[in-house]
Amino acid sequence: MRKKAALGLAGALFACLTAGAAHTLLGTCGPFTDVSDVAFCPFVLEIFTLGITTGTMPTTYDPSSNVTRLQMAAFLSRTVDGVLTRGSARAARGRFWPSQGSQGLAVTTLAWYGGDVKSDGSDLWVASYGLVSRVRASDGRVLETWDGDAGGTGVLVALGQIFVGGWTKPGSLYRLDPSQPAGTVTTLSTALGDSPYELTFDGTRIWTANQGGSVSIVTPGATLPWTVTTVTAGFSVPSGAIYDGSNVWIAELNPGRLVRLDANGAILQTVTCGGACGLPAFDGTNLWVPAFELGNSFVLAVRASTGAVLATLTGNGVDEPQGAAFDGQRVMVISLGTTAGSLSLFKAADLSPLGSISTGFDPPQFVCSDGVDFWVTFGGSYELARF
Amino acid sequence: MENVRSAAPRLRALAGLCLAAAILSGAGGPLLALCGPFTDVSDAAFCPFVLEILTLGITTGTTPTTYDPAAAVTRLQMAVFLSRTVDAVLQRASLRTVLGQIWPARSSAGGASFNKAASPALLRSDGSDVWVALHARNAVARVRGSDGTLLETWTGANGAYGVLVALGQVIVDGDTTPGVLWRIDPAKPAGVVDLVSTLGIGASGITFDGSRIWTANTSGSVSIATPGATTPWTVTTVTAGFTGPLGALYDGANVWVTDNASGLLFKLDGGGTILQTITTEGSPGHPAFDGENLWVPTDGAVSSVLVVRAKTGAVLATLTGNELLDPRAAAFDGQRVLVTSFNPRQVSLFKAADLTAIESFNPGIFNSPFAACSDGASFWVTAYGTNLTPDTVLRF
Repeated sequence: MRKKAALGLAGALFACLTAGAAHTLLGTCGPFTDVSDVAFCPFVLEIFTLGITTGTMPTTYDPSSNVTRLQMAAFLSRTVDGVLTRGSARAARGRFWPSQGSQGLAVTTLAWYGGDVKSDGSDLWVASYGLVSRVRASDGRVLETWDGDAGGTGVLVALGQIFVGGWTKPGSLYRLDPSQPAGTVTTLSTALGDSPYELTFDGTRIWTANQGGSVSIVTPGATLPWTVTTVTAGFSVPSGAIYDGSNVWIAELNPGRLVRLDANGAILQTVTCGGACGLPAFDGTNLWVPAFELGNSFVLAVRASTGAVLATLTGNGVDEPQGAAFDGQRVMVISLGTTAGSLSLFKAADLSPLGSISTGFDPPQFVCSDGVDFWVTFGGSYELARF
Repeated sequence: MENVRSAAPRLRALAGLCLAAAILSGAGGPLLALCGPFTDVSDAAFCPFVLEILTLGITTGTTPTTYDPAAAVTRLQMAVFLSRTVDAVLQRASLRTVLGQIWPARSSAGGASFNKAASPALLRSDGSDVWVALHARNAVARVRGSDGTLLETWTGANGAYGVLVALGQVIVDGDTTPGVLWRIDPAKPAGVVDLVSTLGIGASGITFDGSRIWTANTSGSVSIATPGATTPWTVTTVTAGFTGPLGALYDGANVWVTDNASGLLFKLDGGGTILQTITTEGSPGHPAFDGENLWVPTDGAVSSVLVVRAKTGAVLATLTGNELLDPRAAAFDGQRVLVTSFNPRQVSLFKAADLTAIESFNPGIFNSPFAACSDGASFWVTAYGTNLTPDTVLRF
């Protein structure tokens, strides 16, 4: 390897002899000849370097003109994109490639079919209907397996603990302390509504969407069992549960709809999905709601603050979508597919499609992000795959 | 209790001083105007936004007590607002800020040592651990990112040079004849690396485009390997136009290769054909990409870093100074670009958003810094060169 120093010197000489100088910035302020105020030049150069402005021409910036609202939209949009790209964990690791199929690699084989999966920042926690696996994100190694969570399906990482919902009748809620050696989970309650599917947390209480037709609100306490309030009024087949920082939203399979709840579980607002609603994701501003009816698959982008439907997204491989996850920049929507499963990626900031990945015959079940990769469990294998 | 009792009067005294200062100076006091310090922002619906950009340091107002809400924004003023916005958001969102590690990287914060003739080459973080190719040891080291502990050594990697973390695997190339490509399944116990294919001679820099692995081969070629369920993986090696490729990176749209021997930087299409050629003033080393621009360390008559717009290939700047000398490699951490200088044993840091020099320093080692990567919080640098001290990977 040390030979490269010598090679470098020879190359330098060669380059000096044969090539002209690289282009340099020769205007008054970088390439711009019309920015004469040295106090402002560094700011102009910064947004030029970042690609936020290109100037009005290659050599002019037109500093004294006002900015129209239309131009401002372009500047702000490029600013957000630039900041999110640079600030992402993927950028610092030099990973600018798109998510692709795993080509038989990067698959962790679990002890049983994987249900819901969530990241604690370092490890993934996967409920496998009676077993909970802890998988290290950096290398995909199964670190430990917990048991005792009968029917374990939904996973929640909160309060420094791992919570698992038991898809039982009545429903169950389990907890494990990730700092303790792996063993048997603690049962917090066996008095939830029937068949809890997805869990969420509002900062104080755990909410479960129960497919038996209810929503349960569980209050953590010092003693067992924890207090449970179950609300049935207005619910049919709740499956998805998500908290947007202000309200809990429940996605219902049939009739397909998304409902916003107040702190007591009463329905404040209903957004019709037009089909069965899958498990939504929240990107900080909008909810991404997978939805499908016979022969018609789409993803709704719903403004969380108002409930307005911003867009109905179709195509991009969305085919009987089941769930969604957000990684800070992108949303992944997982689809069972009429012929093959698929994973569809969208740019969250402008709802544009980024392409899709086929999973073949293996239908994806649940998806989450750890900020770098998306992690997906499947219905036809024991696999946990990263994309 | 003693401290608590004595602290309270002091706080009150301090509050009194502040109040007095506010009354005397009219500035720096509590926010008592219509909207924070601003007396001219009367629309309550807009006030929270104005206060947010004041709090973030994006605006300072037109005077300490006025914001001039109805005035139009010139493009010059807008540049200031947007530039400060980017800086504020990146600073707040960085892992270094969240961890409270905002001090300059003056000296090594630990790392791992290898034997005297390990010659660590390229390295990559998987988010938790750093994987280091040990060129002369024919091995790959796994170093824990949090504390620098050498966790594992994988063997059988003759001439290990380039490291890539992709597809949940650690992929390593070998600077041998012919070049070789190995993979490591990091979930398995350490052992012998798994040979997946042979490459062009002298495989060095390595990158991934989402489906295929690309290596820059110093003998004058670029190899493109397609991962598959069975080995050997299919490899295509392209020679047309290449003299001595060394570094490789993918910018989200294209693969770029630095040709160390010819002093050129190439943008390639999906088949490895050269789409665009940028002339450097020396021998380009291992580049970094910051999401918009390539940073190409170039060892020439004047040591420099070429900053190239990825979309267009335009050279934005040729950075010199900041104690660059014999620069070898660059890495980006989300805000800063680190460039290693081999001969004077320096590392130089630049602010990626505006290309300004932040600092340069000798990390206090006898070895010469060679390659670099970031894990988002720290930079990691391989260093080798003397027979007096062990070769190392250092964290800054």
